[in-house]
Amino acid sequence: MAIKSLFWFFVGFVLVSFASSLWLLLSSVLTVMPIPLPYWLLYTPGNIVTAGIIVASLMLALYAYLGVALVLNKMHRGFIPITMVIAFTIGITLLLVRQAIPALVILVIAYVILIGTYAVLISVTTSRASKALWGVATIILALMPPILIGGGLTVINYIRYMALVEQATAIMASAIEAWRLGTHNP
Amino acid sequence: MVLEKRLKPIWITPLVIALAVASIVVLVVDGVGASPSLIASIHIGGFGEVDYYASQPMPNVPPGLLVRVFLINGSVIEPVDAFIDVYANAPNGIVHVSMGYSTTLIVPFSNVNWQYVINKWVLLGVSSSEYETSMLIFITYVRGNESWILPLVIPYNVAWAIKNPRYIVVNAFINVNSIKPSEVIPAMPGTTAVNLQLPSNHSDYTAYNCDLSAPKPPPETAFKPEITCLGFNGSLPATWVTLSNGVIQNDEGLQFELNIYFSGTINWDAMAAGYGDIGTSYSANENWVLSSPTYTIGSQITQPGSLYWYYENATWAIVNYTVWFVNSSMGTYHLGNATVFEVLYVPPNDHYIGMVLDYGNGSVSLLYYLASRHYLGYPSSIVNYAAFIYTGQEYLYQCNGLVINASTPSGTVYVYVMLPGGVETAYGLSPAQLSTTLISLSLGSGGLGMPPSQTSASVTSTYIEIGGITEGVNLYVSVVNVSGVYGLPTYVFILNATNYYGNPTSVTCKYGKVARIG
Repeated sequence: MAIKSLFWFFVGFVLVSFASSLWLLLSSVLTVMPIPLPYWLLYTPGNIVTAGIIVASLMLALYAYLGVALVLNKMHRGFIPITMVIAFTIGITLLLVRQAIPALVILVIAYVILIGTYAVLISVTTSRASKALWGVATIILALMPPILIGGGLTVINYIRYMALVEQATAIMASAIEAWRLGTHNP
Repeated sequence: MVLEKRLKPIWITPLVIALAVASIVVLVVDGVGASPSLIASIHIGGFGEVDYYASQPMPNVPPGLLVRVFLINGSVIEPVDAFIDVYANAPNGIVHVSMGYSTTLIVPFSNVNWQYVINKWVLLGVSSSEYETSMLIFITYVRGNESWILPLVIPYNVAWAIKNPRYIVVNAFINVNSIKPSEVIPAMPGTTAVNLQLPSNHSDYTAYNCDLSAPKPPPETAFKPEITCLGFNGSLPATWVTLSNGVIQNDEGLQFELNIYFSGTINWDAMAAGYGDIGTSYSANENWVLSSPTYTIGSQITQPGSLYWYYENATWAIVNYTVWFVNSSMGTYHLGNATVFEVLYVPPNDHYIGMVLDYGNGSVSLLYYLASRHYLGYPSSIVNYAAFIYTGQEYLYQCNGLVINASTPSGTVYVYVMLPGGVETAYGLSPAQLSTTLISLSLGSGGLGMPPSQTSASVTSTYIEIGGITEGVNLYVSVVNVSGVYGLPTYVFILNATNYYGNPTSVTCKYGKVARIG
């Protein structure tokens, strides 16, 4: 069953991903150029964390929208993204107040529910291509933590590549689904 | 349905597809390393931040050093024009590399003067993975009749100039609320140059002029910098114990050993009078565990002085920087000066280490002399106290709990070990790093929290074993963290007979009061 209001979730997913990757590119390239720049535009650890928190907040808002839209359409699986958003919010808050161990526990739980959220997305997307891409993203998402914990810092570069592929797959899946929902309007 | 149609204009779907494709292109650019990625970052007090980026060389932006100057006034932080003056540290001196008046200054690795210095390092024949040297930067900001000078030391690896290019971005913060300004006064160049007087009688080191001339002089500007570089070559102290006259007079027969255990990357930091630590000037891999012979007061040691472990054939320098503004219509003004103490080179292995007594003319005496003349201008930081008092019954007092009774009685002599020092270990992933990595992986938030791919572990321990405590002994031990004074990564011991170093009326302990044990 196609839920029309999910169109805006997929549009938002692409927009936030685009804004985030554009900032990454612009900021990192401009920072090494000898031109005057305001401090907030520089690619420094502090600014990267700030940008990360903004992107994470926007993504969580989108997932909350997804959950609410599903629940309003009598699909109880919408509670999965809602629970995930709550878990991530608690985890990030604990991290910000330097409770590293409880934060890690909550964030691991949130991560597992995120994999569940991807499964929910597979179930509610309407195009076959989008389902397949979300499926690939789900598999990569599930594989990354065990590889990272097993290999530690020696595999961090592979994890980076996997994260990039996962992000690219999720963006394409969202774009295809937005296109499908946008052009197949009754 | 009408509302839904209005919310979904015809152009939004193609736009989403276009943005998705654009995002993937950006991700690929990032993934293949075509855009700069942050690989390391260091903070230099509140004065600056150094970020290191790995990247393919960007068009028209050669890899090297980029200095950005920001003015901090209250909560406002903004780029500001300043006079930026860059020097490169060579194994035996400093070389003027570049200067300019701007908000940013770029110095590519291909700069002729920088290449001249890089070549001096390469000629040493030491593998570039064994050490890191640094650039010395002075930034002068003038506003009205006040000026602010900021000295910064920026570590880098010479291999970056030859292969593996890096972009080194320095964000320097002129905080007019916390850095003391100088008064801009009319004066001719040379009128306030510092003439550093050294003790006339010295051994274990030689002093020389370490302002090395660059192959290509930097261009003329209205700002005229002037450098006095006093270099020292010889025995750089690794750790030492200093004995006062009272100890020599009163504690005859007292015995001690001075031991060091250094392992991993050791950092020597540059110190500037009035600023404190301004960054690591030199770092090298050092690995050794050494114990001194047992020294007995009255027989081996007969005068007040110091016993020290040293790095042979090291170089270090005192750099005095003065800058003038010269203008044909406005005249000549003195803008201010800064003094930096920095280590330039330490041999990176254990073949060059030794031990020597210093009765007033060695390298430890030189350090005390420089501190007394305020060339370093930073207070000593005592981290621990202990006292051994034996008046028929033996007492041991300790402050921060670092004194341990290490061995069983050997005859009638007890041995105590003082074990300050530190272990710095960074390997694996901390819970906080794992957490941020999870957020980054799951919510696609750029490079948030991705941990660096480097690991390191270093240990620095210095300890003194004291024995021969007999009736009548009064010994007060003060342990000083000299990294906060000279930037040398070690702890040293000052032994007095009547009170702790500096004669404190009360002793401040970090973790509590002086406690009597034994």
